[in-house]
Parts: sequence; C-alpha cells; structure tokens
Amino acid sequence: MYDFTYHKAASLDDAAKLLASAVDAKPIAGGQSLLPMMKFRLASPSDLVDLGTIAGLDRIEAEGGTLTLGAMCRHGAVCTSEVVQKTLPALAHLAGLIGDPAVRHRGTLGGSLANNDPTADYPAAAVSLGATIVTSKREIAAEDFFTGLFETALEPDEIVVAARFPVPEKAAYEKFRNPASRYAMVGVFVAKFPDVVRVAVTGAGASGVFRVPSFEEALSKDFSADALKGLSISTDGLAGDIHASAEYRAHLVGVMARRAVAAANG
Amino acid sequence: MKFEHPAGLNPIDRLTVVGRPVDRIDGPLKTTGTALYAHERHDVAPNQAYGVVVGAAIARGRVETIDVRAARAAPGVLAVVTTLDVPRLGRGRMNYAYLFGGAEIQHYHQAIAVVVAETFEQARAAAALIRADYTPEQGRFDLAAEAGHAPLHGDGDEPVHRVGDFETAFAAAPVTLDRTYTTPDQSHVMIEPHATVAVWDGDRLTLWTSNQMIAWSKKAVADILGMPAEKVRVVSPYVGGGFGGKLFVRADAVLAALGAKAAGRPVRVALTRPLVINNTTHRPATIQRIRIGAERDGRITAIAHESTSGNLPDGSPETAVAQTKLLYAGAARMIAMRLARLDLPEGNAMRAPGEAPGMMALEIAIDEMAEALGLDPVEFRIRNDTQVDPAHPGRPFSYRDLVGCLRLGAERFGWSARDPKPASVRDGRWLIGLGVAAGFRNNLLTKSSARVELDRHGVVTVSTDMTDIGTGSYTIIAQTAAEMLGVGLEKVVVRLGDSDFPASAGSGGQWGANNATAGVYAACVRLRDAVARKLGLNATDIDFADGEVMSGDRRVPLGEAAGEGLSAEDGIEYGSLAKDYQQSTFAGHFVEVAVDAHTGETRLRRMLAVCSAGRILNPKSARSQVIGAMTMGAGAALMEKLSVDTRRGFFVNHDLAGYEVPVHADIPHQEVIFLDEADPISSPMKAKGVGELGLCGVGAAIANAIYNATGVRVRDYPITLDTYLDRLPRPA
Amino acid sequence: MNVTLTVNGETRSAEVPPETTLLVFLREYLNLTGAKTGCDIGDCGACTVILDGKAVNACLMLAAQADGRDVITIEGLATREGLHPLQKVFEETGALQCGFCGPGVILSAKALLDENPAPSKQEIRNALAGNLCRCTGYVKMIDGIQEVAETMRSVPTPALPAASKGEQKHG
Repeated sequence: MYDFTYHKAASLDDAAKLLASAVDAKPIAGGQSLLPMMKFRLASPSDLVDLGTIAGLDRIEAEGGTLTLGAMCRHGAVCTSEVVQKTLPALAHLAGLIGDPAVRHRGTLGGSLANNDPTADYPAAAVSLGATIVTSKREIAAEDFFTGLFETALEPDEIVVAARFPVPEKAAYEKFRNPASRYAMVGVFVAKFPDVVRVAVTGAGASGVFRVPSFEEALSKDFSADALKGLSISTDGLAGDIHASAEYRAHLVGVMARRAVAAANG
Repeated sequence: MKFEHPAGLNPIDRLTVVGRPVDRIDGPLKTTGTALYAHERHDVAPNQAYGVVVGAAIARGRVETIDVRAARAAPGVLAVVTTLDVPRLGRGRMNYAYLFGGAEIQHYHQAIAVVVAETFEQARAAAALIRADYTPEQGRFDLAAEAGHAPLHGDGDEPVHRVGDFETAFAAAPVTLDRTYTTPDQSHVMIEPHATVAVWDGDRLTLWTSNQMIAWSKKAVADILGMPAEKVRVVSPYVGGGFGGKLFVRADAVLAALGAKAAGRPVRVALTRPLVINNTTHRPATIQRIRIGAERDGRITAIAHESTSGNLPDGSPETAVAQTKLLYAGAARMIAMRLARLDLPEGNAMRAPGEAPGMMALEIAIDEMAEALGLDPVEFRIRNDTQVDPAHPGRPFSYRDLVGCLRLGAERFGWSARDPKPASVRDGRWLIGLGVAAGFRNNLLTKSSARVELDRHGVVTVSTDMTDIGTGSYTIIAQTAAEMLGVGLEKVVVRLGDSDFPASAGSGGQWGANNATAGVYAACVRLRDAVARKLGLNATDIDFADGEVMSGDRRVPLGEAAGEGLSAEDGIEYGSLAKDYQQSTFAGHFVEVAVDAHTGETRLRRMLAVCSAGRILNPKSARSQVIGAMTMGAGAALMEKLSVDTRRGFFVNHDLAGYEVPVHADIPHQEVIFLDEADPISSPMKAKGVGELGLCGVGAAIANAIYNATGVRVRDYPITLDTYLDRLPRPA
Repeated sequence: MNVTLTVNGETRSAEVPPETTLLVFLREYLNLTGAKTGCDIGDCGACTVILDGKAVNACLMLAAQADGRDVITIEGLATREGLHPLQKVFEETGALQCGFCGPGVILSAKALLDENPAPSKQEIRNALAGNLCRCTGYVKMIDGIQEVAETMRSVPTPALPAASKGEQKHG
C-alpha cells in the first residue's frame, strides 16, 4: 500500500465530517474488500476513516416484524446471533456462507452493502426482503440503493448506519459458491410475504443483484419448487467468466431458486 | 561409494529405526512457528531493506524506456534497478526464460525492475510508480492453434520412438480406440511464495532462499550473475513447499542480489502471488492423442501416444508420453512428442512432470478400452501387465507389483460392488460412481553426498545440502544415520540446505528420499570404518547398536570411540543398474465420486491408493506424501487450470481466488496402503520414491469414476461441471 | 502512528506508518514470524492469528485496527508446561509437512475448539475453510483436531491457556 492518513472516528458525525473534509477519503469497516483493493491499487483513498471505533453500530434488534442490523455487524455475529436465527434464519444462514471464518469475523453488513460487489450475498437478501438501508443522511429502499456494478446511491460522505429487514413468512437463501473465493457463482434469496414473493439473484448478473419477475409471479400463485418447473431465465445480462459461462449461471439460477423454495418450505 | 550390484544384507535391514513411523524431527519447530523460512531471516543480517519486483505488462516485445523518477523520489526508496540498467544476464542450465537484463520481453510479468526501500509498503508503493514504455510484438499464446504445425521433438536420438510396426498392428486389431485428451497449464501453488534475503560481503554473495536444489542453484546464481561459484552460498533449510516450482533460481534471488548490491544493504525480496504464477514456471498444457489396439481377449497389440505441448524458444516439451513406453505390454508401439513455440511464461517441472499429465490421459484411454472390450478395468490392466521393458525384453523391471496394487486395492475398496453400467447408482440427487487407474512414476538415480560427524558425547551430526520441502528429509536422514550407527534419533542432528555442505541429490523427481539417504548411508559406512580403525578393529566384524560399538565381547560407547571427534564424507554413485533394470514405482488408485444430477457438481467420497514403491523409510511421512499427492490429483481432475488470455498472453487467474486448489471441504476419506517390499536394485536403502507416484493416475481415476457415475466421458481437464452439464442423465 | 496491543499476553507497542498491516506489524516490528505471508490478500489463511478470540487474517487488517486489542499468535500457544495439544497432535498425525500453513491452521483450530469443544468433522472443515494447504491433503488435520477435542473433553486440563476472549469491540 502507500502512505494514507488514518483517522479513528469518534462518532458518526465525526466520521461524516472527516469524509467530507478530505479529497478522497473512504470509510473502512472490516476492510476485507477495501484492503486488498488498496494493495492492488484498485482503490487509493487519501484518507481512511475507521468506523470500528464508533459505539453502537453493531446492534441486532427484532421488533414489530422488522429485524434491524447495525452496519458494523460482523457476518460471524449475524450468523450466530440467536435473534437473527429466530426471526430471520435465512439471513443467519446467508451470513454463515460468506467467505471463510476469518473473513466473517472481520467483514461487516454495512461494508458489504456499500461495496455492492456483484457476487456478494447481502444485496440479494436486501432486495428480496425489501430492506431499507439507513444511512447517516436518509433512508433508501434496497432496490434504489444498488445502482450498478460496485455502485450504490451513497454520496461520498454518506455512511451506512443500519439495514432494516422486514420479517417474511418464509425465506431461504441457496448459494452455489465459487470453490476458490467462496463468492456466489449464483445465490438466490427467496422471500414470501403475505402480499408478495420476491426472488433476488446475486453472482449471476453482470451488473449486480437482480429480481426474477417470472419466478416471483409463479411463486405468488403457488409457493412450491414445482411451480418453477419449466421456468428459466435468459442469459441476457448474465456474467460469463473463467469460472462459469452465462448459460451455466442461468441454469444454476433455476436450480438454486427451486432449492431455496424447497428450503423455505422446510 | 559406488553402487554397482544389488544390495545384500546391510545394517539398514535391521529396521530398528528405518521403516518406523516416527514423528518428523522438525515438527516442534514448525508447530511453534519457530522454523525460519527465507522471508523471515531477520537473524542473518542486520539492517535489511525490502525489495519489490515489477513485472512486464506485455507478453512479448521490447521495453523501450523505464521512468523511475517518481519511484526514486518516493519516501523510503533506497535503490531502483531496471532491466535496462544491465545487459541480459545468463540463465540456469535447465531454464528457458531469462530472468533479468536487457530490453527483450519473453513473457508477461518478466521482471523489469526491483525497487528497494526501507519498508515493504514503501517499496510496494514506489514500485507502482514505475512507468515503462513498450513496443509489443505479436506473440503465440494458444496451444491449440499452434499444435497443428508443431515440430516433432524427440527425447533421445530418434524423433519418434517405435517398437514394431504400430500402424499395421493397429489396423489389424479387432478392437481399437483413437481419442484425444487435453490437460491444462497448472500452477504449483506452494503456500510459501519464492523469497530470498541477499547479503553481499565484498564480492561474496549469500542467499537465504527457498529452493529445492542447492547445488544446481549455486551454479545457476554464478552463471546468471557472472561470478565464480565459489563466491556464492545458497542456504535453504526450510522450504514452504516447492513441487518443482523451486527447483530453480528465480527472479526473487537474482533481484535481491542486484538490489542488495545497488542499495549497499542486505535486501529481502518475496514474489507476490501473481508473480509466482506469471513470473516463474508452470506445468505446460498438453494435447494427447492415444491409440490402442487389442485382441478380443483384451491383450493390447498396438499402442501409440502422441503429445503436443508448448514452451519458450529453447524450451523442452512436457514429456507426457513417458509412462506409455513402460506401463503396459504390447508388441507394436509408437511414442512421439511435438513442441510448439509459445510466448507464455516458462513451462517446466511440476510434481511428476511427464507422468502426471500423461497418466491423466492414458488411464482414461485404458478405461475406455476396457469398456469397449467388455472387460473389468482392473482385469484389463492386469491382463496387460509386463515384467520387462517392452522395447527391450531382456531388461526386466527391478521390482514391479502393479498387479498386487490393483488386486489388493480392488479388495479393500469393495470394487466388486461396482456396477459397470454407467449412471446406474443413485443416492438421492447424487449419481454415484467408482473409478480406478494405475499409478506409475519412474525411480530416478542420481549421486548424493553427505558428511557425518561423531562427537565425544556420541552425537551424530549429518550435513548435506539436501532440502526438506515438507517431504520429511530431515527425519528419514536422521533415521538412516541412527540405524547405521546404532543410536537413538535423539542423538542425531541433521543440518540441511546449505551449499557449504556436501552436494546431495536435492528434492525433485521423487528421487530425494532414496538417493539422499543412500548418500548418508555411504558416509555412515565410511564413519563406521573410521571408528573401527580408531579402535583397531576389523570393520567387517563390528556392530553398532544401543550407542555402542561392539566387536566380540568388547563394547565401547560411541562417544568414547569418537575421542575428540570423527568425521567422514562420502556419497552414493550409481553404476549400470539403472540401465540393466527398469526402475519404477507403481500404484492402484481407487476413487468413489458423487455427482449432483442437477448442477453437475462432483464431490469425492473415498480415495484409496495402494503403492508398490520399494522399502518405505518412514510410513508416516510417506503416507503424508501420498495423501498430499492424491489431493493435488483431485485438484488436477476437478478444478486446477491456468486460464490463458490468448490475446494478451498471460495467465488470467493469477491468485488463489482465481486458481482453484482443493480445500478442506473437497477432501473426504483418503487411505494409503504400502505393499511390504524392498528393492535391492535401487540402492543400499532398497527404497524408491513415493511423493510423485501418489499423484500419477489419480486424475484419471476420478474421471473414470465420474464416467461410471454419469455415463459422460470427459476427455478435457479439469472436469468442471459446466463442461458436461448438458450431457448429464435427466434427474428423476 | 503509535500502535499498542496485547500480543500473547504482553503489551507491545511500536511507531508504524498507517499502511502497516497487522501481519507486517507482527513479522517485521515484533519479529513474530509464525504468521506467514502466503498471498497477502486473504486467500490462503497462512497469516491467521486470533484477535479477541476470533481467527482473522492478519494480512487483511491494518495494525491500527488492532490497536488496543488482544492478539494470540502461534508463538503464544505453547506454555512453560509444553506444547498445546493441537501442536502435539499435528506432529503426531503428520498433519504438517512443509509447515508453512501450519501456524494458521492450528490457530483456526484453536479458535474453533475454544468456541465449540465438540465439533463434527464437517464443522472442523468449515472452520478451516480459509486455510489452504498444498502438502498434506487435509484429512490428517481433521483427524488430529477431532482427537484433541475428544481428549480435551475427557481430561479437563488446566494447563490450557484460556482463550483470550476480550470484550468484542468494533473495528
């Protein structure tokens, strides 16, 4: 890396001020994506503002049909949290599938959402569950938050504070992992609410998380794996790389969606 | 000591220490983190600076200018040396890529500069400021595109190895196979990257490095830097894995030396993981055509194996046809290799060069042939066993029990339960299959020396430049000395990996264990003679046991016999036994797989290897070697592939998130059985190698198991799910 | 900047540039070289150390992020009484060959056993998912760790250094 300026933020306000005051400052949470990017010079912020020193950003609360997770919740804490396991077990399951234990002990929900890696897991949950992303400035619906490849609606001095997940009737996440990196080759999050079913896919889209309206429609009528029989998605806009072709990813979306529905139905 | 006749009874045959599964003697240092690898030799010189290597951004052409101004001005920078500052340097005898110097770029990530700074991060930051201008040239990067016009490349006098008339015999055979198989470029992925600390003392250079072959490398450093070999010392007591990737001196050593000279300070350099992949060596990809003709009773009458691989100019081919000369009987044979010129990084040895990719292809072909003949694949192999070199029937194998490996393996693995009809066993969503392959790797003999010292406390110190790359050299050498001199392991000190010690076989080609211990044996014989002389005894009727020298009724403690100390040096050299006998190692590999009917994902369920490899010096470390090799074989079968960017000419997946190797979750139950044997023709140790044998054949056993599970025959490695998903049987 | 943390029970402090990773801090400033540099981007796990009771990749943390925290490295595992049972079992089962991945694997295993004294084989595999090994082929490690877990459960041994489960802070 190189010589940057490191700041420990004392509070959210302090962090926001620090971010606004420097030319190219970035917040750092767990750093599991940012530090490798800095080593490769894919990112070279002038200043790093450490959010790890701000108290109270790792709350986990379930109340009135909503699960709220603070931005600094580590993946490891989410997957082992009794509250999450009880209210939204699919999300605990998802968190436990991120990376490896060492990464889960450092990586955070907020960092994952803000980074919007097209193969990250949380974006699928956020979109499928219709989460609200709470930032230091406002509240943003998940579908408006993720705007493209590694792009979000966040402004440079805006910090993710928490995410609010509505608790569904049923939900499940099924992930086909890249065996080397453990990122999602395809991950499908299925959530059933009284009025709506949402299916969100990560890993497959060339520009990040997306919904599958045809699957949602079928599942709204009949929430069973069989309802997806014969349905497939087009390869348009899907990623193809050395790990898998777009065709293979399209196939996996169908398989993982059926498995997710089966899992959600227990 | 010249080894010219098969070994008779000798002190090793007592097997009081040798042949026992003792713990590795370097274990405590490794489990406590106190074994020092190259990049952590803070202890060898004060004031070390850090070097970071910059790799070329083109694959072929010239570097015209290198702007180092910003790098030189960056904080902490002590020196920058670029490839334009020095003429093209020499290269090692067995290398094809030049490591540094001059404007010509032979391959992507060839080193073009080293930046030396006070801290590692300063060096890395400054290295990113270097700007190079290139004149690229069109290179050749696509083996498949070059294969059609690649010239023949023989490995002896003849470009094509022929026995009998293959074409006629093949045409006459009632059952034939003619198939083409491919294996990809692979990376060693030792967990420790190449690293070196270079220290100059006047015109003398010492390199603390991570290297398998100390004597080769000392000579190579001298050749590359244009200095006398006597002025070079290479030290490598602990190596964090090599697998052939550290047989040679690489850019870390050369640039640490140049950087240290320029900075006037000791300099430490480690290659980054991307540089390990594109700057060093890899196992070259192959395209292999195999033709087999057989009688209806299963006897092979004609066999041909042709392999095409690529390399840099002056390079050599991947000798994937090697085993086909020897593994099976058959009167008419044809073996040929073609070598395409490619402008990729240097192709060179990786664990079992030749046989590893060769067996991946041949042993699928054998499975296909068995099916065509309606024979069980174990039985088909047994039916074509040969006890002599098929090209020279007067030349027997020194010892060969491939049949025993296959029979015992089949029995232990429950082979008889296998349904030969593919895709007939289901377990829920999983398709289950069993596969078998033979394992084969030659046993290579090369001279190896050691020094053995005995002090007045009866402590035996063995010094040799042999390396321990995880193989267990420290331990089996200690066992050898302990057995020869009749002492316990606690009385033996082993010092390895220093060019100041007598030159050994080094670690490579699975020759290290047999040759290096045979060298220690020779030195111990000489020390026994010295002890006898000192005591005025006849060397032929004394015995060494329990820390004492015994002759008749006389018993003298070894320490007392040593007086002020005794030292002996000798080595093993071989006569014509390797010519008179074919020396090889054999295995039967058995695998059970489960294939997900919906996604094509393959999960290994069980693996078994039965090995025929001479005396096993330490069953614990030998088992470890074989299990590790089986795991590497699983990687080769299912995931490992360097993806070539055929436009820009480099390996794209140059990190461990892109190049997949097996992880814990991939590896199920594995077992290894060693047949109880000794091969007196190989050396006084009667041992052979196992570290590469364990890899050869594994990939094909997995491919054959996948075929048995699914009915899909995949002939291109790695067998990734997307390559055969559309051919899977429809899930119920 | 100044970084002060507890390493293997001792307070250690150094002035370092802000870009210094925890791994470089340990290896270059404290000369604790048991944590290895295998890939430097969190792929291989050779740099695994235990931070406030949890296994982390030391290459993927700034030293500054570990300021005020509690770190255990492989050098802190053995006690005056001898090696940690995991260290012993890795010797006995031949779970180490070149040894380069070993410290990271042992620390991942320790972090697991501190939290889960009776892991299944699958739980052990999951806990070690981030630790690559190219020599041994993994099965001996799994067997060894399970053996230690069984022994530790049957013989409550006070000789084991208690896991440092300092208060989990944010970082």
